[in-house]
Amino acid sequence: MSPTVLIARKEAGEILASGRGQGWLLALSAILSVLSLLLVSNTELSLLDNAQVVYMMMGTVTALGALLAVALGSDAVAGERERGTLVPLLLAPVTGTEIVLGKMGGQVVAWFATYGLALPYVWAVGSSGQNLAQAVGYLALFGTPVVLTFGFYAYGLSARFVSVRSALLTALITLVLFASPLVMGPGLRDNPIGKAFDAVNPFSAALNSFDSVVIDSQPFTAQAGRLAVAIVWLALSAWFAKRSMERTEV
Amino acid sequence: MKPVITLLAACLLAGFAALAGAAARLDMALSPDRSNPSSPQMGDHMRFISVIRNGGDTPAQGVVAWISLVQVDPGHEQPMDLEDWSAHKAVTRAVLAPGEQVTVDWPMRVIQAGDYRVVISAVERDTPHIITSPFIDFHVRQKPVVESARILPVALGVPLALGGLLGWRLRRRR
Repeated sequence: MSPTVLIARKEAGEILASGRGQGWLLALSAILSVLSLLLVSNTELSLLDNAQVVYMMMGTVTALGALLAVALGSDAVAGERERGTLVPLLLAPVTGTEIVLGKMGGQVVAWFATYGLALPYVWAVGSSGQNLAQAVGYLALFGTPVVLTFGFYAYGLSARFVSVRSALLTALITLVLFASPLVMGPGLRDNPIGKAFDAVNPFSAALNSFDSVVIDSQPFTAQAGRLAVAIVWLALSAWFAKRSMERTEV
Repeated sequence: MKPVITLLAACLLAGFAALAGAAARLDMALSPDRSNPSSPQMGDHMRFISVIRNGGDTPAQGVVAWISLVQVDPGHEQPMDLEDWSAHKAVTRAVLAPGEQVTVDWPMRVIQAGDYRVVISAVERDTPHIITSPFIDFHVRQKPVVESARILPVALGVPLALGGLLGWRLRRRR
């Protein structure tokens, strides 16, 4: 078995099998439950059609996945350093790239656990509406690169910063900035600065695609540019994580 | 004697006629806004424009106008509580001069499917009767909204299942 797979299995096991990891999943499900209950209990919100609610749910799931990725990525190297386990890891016969990919393998598993957890909620709010199948597909298609982008970014910060706290704080501030379109409607972003920010922001790319596909029923060809933005960010953040790992110091 | 009575009656009639001519006379028109959806569905916003005009010779004092909405579906006829439909339920005008008119915009969000009739009513402090606008009828289409019956089992079931799994693992570990 390759070192990458071994590290990924260890990381995934720690996330899914540990009490801490299951506690995270429980917290995520509680957040999605509260959101769902708010949607049905509020008179104003209950006027929203299914597609609008599914769109809101998709954005929230992507944000929660990115949040989990930031937490895991920030701990990836700085956490090993703080626990005194970084030296044995670096002395092991594995390359920096294999360590990065292995650690990120754990994040992929965490994201798909989050995704799987979100599916019953997406079905519950959207099964009587339109484009539910597209919603499930596009949440995976756009959610995966966006979540992993933040995971790689936090990993890179974790390799460069001495403490988990510094890496986590920096990554969280960045996530809040990039995820701001989740709370700012299209009207607030309808100005030159907002449009420029939307054009380069992977989170905006995902949200705009969710809107376009689920609410406006537009085809994949209309999403290709947005998917390219998300993939470019994924590649850049992966490169940043790899470079940071090569330069990491004990 | 008879000519005197006739003269008195004529004077009284002339006096009433003069008083009637001097009174304020409110006219009202009501029309849907051009931006209204042609076939509104639940959640859509609509606007109605009313024009209240004083067509009399004297100022109208203390004019109050309000919007009313009535559901007219057969078997479900009822006046609607506008609480969730509109925050703009009435307007007042201290004085409406002769010939003056006031245009009022009545926005609302239609929140329930059905057939409806909207009307604007107005009263003036010194006139003992109500003035109403012509009716406008419209139909609100149903649309699928979030169904609580499907969400509740998921919203409660998933955290409970995960919590149960976590509790079982912790207990087994001991």
